[in-house]
Amino acid sequence: MTDYWLSKLFFDLQNPAAAAEYRADRAKVLARYPLAPEVLDAIARDDVLFLGRRVNAYLLRYYFGAAGMSDAVFLEKLHQSGKEASHG
Amino acid sequence: MAELVGAFAASHAPLIARDWHRFSEERRSEIAGAYRELGRRMTAARPDVILELSPDHWTNFFLDNLPSICIGVGESHEGPSEPFMKGFPRSVAGHAALGMHIAATALAEDFEPSISHHLKLDHGFCIPLERMELPALPRLVPITVNDLEPPMMSIRRCFAWGRLLARAIASYPEKKLRVAILATGGLSHSIGESTMGAIDEAFDRDCIRAFTDGAEAPLTQFLEAHMADAGNGTHEVRNWVIAHAAAGARGFDLIEYRAIPEVYVGCGFASWRV
Repeated sequence: MTDYWLSKLFFDLQNPAAAAEYRADRAKVLARYPLAPEVLDAIARDDVLFLGRRVNAYLLRYYFGAAGMSDAVFLEKLHQSGKEASHG
Repeated sequence: MAELVGAFAASHAPLIARDWHRFSEERRSEIAGAYRELGRRMTAARPDVILELSPDHWTNFFLDNLPSICIGVGESHEGPSEPFMKGFPRSVAGHAALGMHIAATALAEDFEPSISHHLKLDHGFCIPLERMELPALPRLVPITVNDLEPPMMSIRRCFAWGRLLARAIASYPEKKLRVAILATGGLSHSIGESTMGAIDEAFDRDCIRAFTDGAEAPLTQFLEAHMADAGNGTHEVRNWVIAHAAAGARGFDLIEYRAIPEVYVGCGFASWRV
């Protein structure tokens, strides 16, 4: 299930200026996108498993990089999400 | 008529550029050596134009409009915007007439490519071009292939596209125009998935063997059976298939293969027998 607006947010944040604005004021940037409450909640929790089911995997990676997450932490979250997914 | 003078493949992992300074001297030497050998062979082929196949990493296209194939028909193309590609030229000369000829040939043969008069090149196009250390960059006709977002072209269709490119090159009216093909991406890798970082060396070795042998049916069967399980980035092998078919499916010579965990990719480099 692709979430268009979540994907659009992640796509737009490839722009370095947009990413800097997002890191400085997430709420302001998120208000521009019609995201469902549960999606906003997943963003707030950095819920890789939830978000990864709704966007292209490359965009997911770009997003967490733009949001300031290190590769090491992102990888750890991804691997953990794989374990969670396999346990239903 | 134009002439196909070479066909090559190279991986394009972005961390090769972004994290170069973090690699060991030995690793840098391995990667640089592979690209340099590719560049030596490309230079020996003396191309006037490089026809380059690479995915669009969400640089030009989004879910609003996502072509399976887009041919860059501009007089020039925009250099990469990624911060780690700042050393690459901001503009690369194109070959608009050849690009349009390929598009027209495709349409005449019932293929429906997209075209772009202003294509932005990302790391997929630019890392191999930069790392091959060519004495001068030939003009470029970039072709984006959707390897990222399903649905994607079948392997059968990739073969058909490769044969079409060969016919388009052969029918281009400018005499003695020398054209090389460069397919970038692959081999196995997984990006943004729970398996990110995994490299399927067994898949890569079997894949290389199938390309080396050259025959269409076993290569198609192998990729259809195994490509999707070797990581989402592995879909970029479609670009290799197009080059393979364009070169006549006579097999290729492997220049180098290394599974490189630092860049999350099974990196392959090869030149086809044209």
